[in-house]
Amino acid sequence: MELDELKSQLKHKLATDHTGRSEEDIAILLTKKTNSVIAKLKRSLRIEIISCILITLVFAFIGLTSKTFAFRIYFSVFTIVSIAFLIPMFYLFKRTATLGGTAFPIKSNLQTIVTIIEEFIKRYFQFTMALLPVCFLFALLLGYHDKEPNQHIDSLAKSLFSSLWQVILFIAVYCILLSVGIYYFTKWYLKKLYGKYVSQLKECIRELTEE
Amino acid sequence: MASEKEFVSLLNQHQKIIYKVCNLYMDSHADREDLFQEITLQAWKAYENFRGDAKFSTWLYRVALNTAITYFRKEKRKPAIFSTDTVPDQTEETYDPIEEQVKAMYTAIGNLSKIDKAIVMLYLEDYSYIEIGEMMGITANNVAVKMNRIKIKLKEDTQQQSANF
Repeated sequence: MELDELKSQLKHKLATDHTGRSEEDIAILLTKKTNSVIAKLKRSLRIEIISCILITLVFAFIGLTSKTFAFRIYFSVFTIVSIAFLIPMFYLFKRTATLGGTAFPIKSNLQTIVTIIEEFIKRYFQFTMALLPVCFLFALLLGYHDKEPNQHIDSLAKSLFSSLWQVILFIAVYCILLSVGIYYFTKWYLKKLYGKYVSQLKECIRELTEE
Repeated sequence: MASEKEFVSLLNQHQKIIYKVCNLYMDSHADREDLFQEITLQAWKAYENFRGDAKFSTWLYRVALNTAITYFRKEKRKPAIFSTDTVPDQTEETYDPIEEQVKAMYTAIGNLSKIDKAIVMLYLEDYSYIEIGEMMGITANNVAVKMNRIKIKLKEDTQQQSANF
C-alpha cells in the first residue's frame, strides 16, 4: 500500500489522541519555563556573565588595593583575563537571545544552534586551557615572594627532596600531569554536556544537505 | 508587545497542529505533554516577530517542527518507539484490512528519521514541494527526491511488517 492511498486516514490518526486544551490551559502554559537546550545554554551564559562581572570587580579591587606586589600582579592579570572572557560570553548570549524570537527554516535553525553551541564549547575550552599557564606562573610567583615560609610544607619538602633539581622536576611533572588531566577532563565534560546533542543536530543537517 | 490574549486564541484554534507534531515525534504521554508545553512556549516567544506574511498555521508548523527536531528528551525516559495505539483499535472481532494498513504505515512513519518525519507531516498536510522546501530550508527538487525515497522506504517497511505478521 502506498502512502498517498492512506493520506486521509493517516491525517486523521495523527490528529486524534488528545483531549484538547482550553484557552485558560494554554495561558497557564505560557507562564512555565522552557526546557530547550538553547534556553539552558542562555541560563548558563547568564550565570557565567554575572559571576564573571562579580569576580572581575573583586579581583580589580584586590589588584588595586593590595600592599603585596605578587597579589597586585596576580589579581590585576586575572581582572584582564576575566574581562577578556566576558566579551565572547556577551556575544554568545546576544546570539542565543535572537534565536528564540524568530521562526527560521529548519535547516538554518539547526545550523545556527550548532554554530552557537560549538562556539560556546570552543571558547569555554580555550579559556580553561589559557588559565592553566597563568595559574602556574602566578602560583610560583606568589610562593617565591612569600616572606613567611610555611613550616609544615618546608619540613615535608626537606624530607622528600634533597636537591633543587628534584624540586624543579617535581613541579614540572606536577604541572604537566595537571594540564593533561584538566585537558582531558574539560574535553570529556563538554562532550558529555553537548556532544551527543550536537552530533544529532549535525546528522539532521547532513540529511537535509544531501541531494 | 504582542497580545497574549490574541495569541492564546489563535493557538487554541490551531492546537491540533501541535498535537500532530507531538504524536509524530513522541511516544509516551508524558513526553508529548512536555513537547506540547515547549512548542507553546517557543511559539509565544516567536510570536512577537510574526508579521502575518505567512498563514498562522504555516508559521506554527515551522515553529513546532523546529522545536520537535531540536528537542532533547529527558534521559530518564525511554526512547521514542512510535506508538500504534494512539487511536482506540477496532474490536478484535471486526478485522479491518484498511485499518491494519494504516497502522502499518503509521508504524513505518514512526521509524523514519526526524527530518523525514517532518517532510512526511507537511506532505500529509498537502503543502506543495515549494512550500515544504521553504519550511525545511532546502530546494523543491530536493524535497521531491527525498519524498520519493521516503515513499519507497515506507512501502518496503510496510511490506516487511506484513511478511513478519
